[in-house]
Amino acid sequence: MDIFEILSPLSVLLCFIGVFIGIIFGAIPGMTATMAIALFLPITYSLDMVDAIALLIGLYVGGISGGLVPAVLLNIPGTPSSLCTTFDGYPMTQKGEGEKALKIGITASIVGGFFSLTVLYFFAPVLASVAIKFSSVEKFLIIVFALTVIASISKGSLLGGIFSGFIGVYLSLIGMFADNNQLRLIPPGFEEELAYGFSLLPVLIGLFAIAQILQESEEGMKASPHQTFDFKKEKKNRFTFKIFNGQIINTIRSSMIGTFIGMLPGVGGSAASISSYSQAKNFSKHPEKLGTGEPEGLIASESANNGLIGGALIPLLSLGIPGDSTTAVLVGALLLQGIQVGPLFIPANPDLWDGIIYALIIANIVMFLLMFFSIKHMAKIIYIPKYIIYPIIIVMCVVGSYAINNGVMFDVWTLLLFGLAGYVFMKIGIQVAPFLIGFILGKELEKYFIDSLKGSGGDLTIFFTKGPIALLLWMLIAISIIYAIMDNRRSKKAGDQTITPST
Amino acid sequence: MKDLLTVELKFSEYHTIFPKIMLTILIFLAVLMLLLNIVKRIKKGTLTAFRFQFFIDNYDKLKFYGTVVLLIAYALVLERIGFLPASILFMFLITLLFIGNIKKKSIVVSLANSLATSLVIWYLFGQLFDITLP
Repeated sequence: MDIFEILSPLSVLLCFIGVFIGIIFGAIPGMTATMAIALFLPITYSLDMVDAIALLIGLYVGGISGGLVPAVLLNIPGTPSSLCTTFDGYPMTQKGEGEKALKIGITASIVGGFFSLTVLYFFAPVLASVAIKFSSVEKFLIIVFALTVIASISKGSLLGGIFSGFIGVYLSLIGMFADNNQLRLIPPGFEEELAYGFSLLPVLIGLFAIAQILQESEEGMKASPHQTFDFKKEKKNRFTFKIFNGQIINTIRSSMIGTFIGMLPGVGGSAASISSYSQAKNFSKHPEKLGTGEPEGLIASESANNGLIGGALIPLLSLGIPGDSTTAVLVGALLLQGIQVGPLFIPANPDLWDGIIYALIIANIVMFLLMFFSIKHMAKIIYIPKYIIYPIIIVMCVVGSYAINNGVMFDVWTLLLFGLAGYVFMKIGIQVAPFLIGFILGKELEKYFIDSLKGSGGDLTIFFTKGPIALLLWMLIAISIIYAIMDNRRSKKAGDQTITPST
Repeated sequence: MKDLLTVELKFSEYHTIFPKIMLTILIFLAVLMLLLNIVKRIKKGTLTAFRFQFFIDNYDKLKFYGTVVLLIAYALVLERIGFLPASILFMFLITLLFIGNIKKKSIVVSLANSLATSLVIWYLFGQLFDITLP
């Protein structure tokens, strides 16, 4: 289909703006792509669906890519997914090769982006056409699988991860059950406000933005360490695309790892970056040099974290299950426009599906051009003080929450409540990513559970006897749990406390 | 065995089945985690040593509680005095709080930040995109 039949000039412009703002969010440590998308959701109400998705995809790509700027220049990952970029990026800056390092990272990013986009384009429709035949039993099990994977990735405590996920599910059940219109779990006195449960958007923004701001205010809102860096004239050691000679396999492998990890539900960007970095080290001809400013490590980390984007969109668009917290926010965006994600998404919304693909292409190209040619100016973003940014974010959060249901003050209170909850969660060890995925999928989980039981007359064995796909899903669930337990033991034995992925 | 694996389905009680199961699982997990923790503590011999610290060392009391109070106050007055006055006031105070001093420069910065942002958001969202503002 012709690209301009789907994307209007306005969508292209919005995509461009999205990438630009996304890079700013990504580049400021503590602010993430997830936050950027959540904050811009309110604007999308008034936009056409394709325009809205172009803006959000731009924010997503920009937000993930922008993280490399402070990672390379200040040794602070701007987003969790650029964690490993610091390992080789910062040493290069110290050697006076900052600009070169940034350009390597940007080039690796666009390769990762396009790789995952291709996989998404060919793989998601196939997966969806399989998933379309699923009955409520399989759908129930897929969500259970998603929850166990999320929990198994959450390092530290498997039980804690599962617990967090189930708390999310439990809170999502508040309100009316659609089958018999009965209210449940509502604290007395809130029957009117909570008849439909907590609104998703204020919960999301609260958990991500307000909680973050509370945490930083506890730490005294210290300015990011203003180390000075300057781009020296890099005459003898400038960036050329020749650096990528001999790195092709590394680039492709890292993109693949990123895409694959993105597909696993709930696994954050830092996991993609860490695994591809360690694989690059395993396969490297001179592994001892990694970590001292080798382009190899930089390429691995950056192509993986952009590979993540297309990967994370696969389960979202084919099964309706968000691959990470950022795509979880995208579910909110689609729901706002009245679009249900799930196996029927692609056949039912062909224009939107093409729009997403085109938006990804444009966003990746814009990201590359914007960052490659103006990186010296973009790099100054990291100097914007937080005391300017955070108040702006708070007001935008409040406006967004208030507007979500056309002016409901209770949604603003939900925002503050979950902001505080997110802050307390961080303190007591409840993990936000499993909680959020549980919260988003909780109602579906219940619906499929009840539907399955209705079909079997209340017989619980239906979940095992339904058919081969159900058994396969049980196996996957078991594998993910066993893997988590083994992995937990191994990392405890190794005393490996140095790298802990977080989302 | 058959009875154990069958759930009684009544239309009027559809809505309570799943929450009950979830609550059971949550309680089970909580007890399990508690037991594992106790076992771990007994092994290490630190059963009675509780060292849970909610706030970080030397946390910024003024900024933390200031932020919480300002957020709540903002939400309280929002519908009473309207979006623009409430936001300008709130942003001025919170920017000042985050900067952390009351020098002339900080006041100017806060004022500029609050006026610019509030007006831009008010115009962009309220007028241009027609989004409901408080």
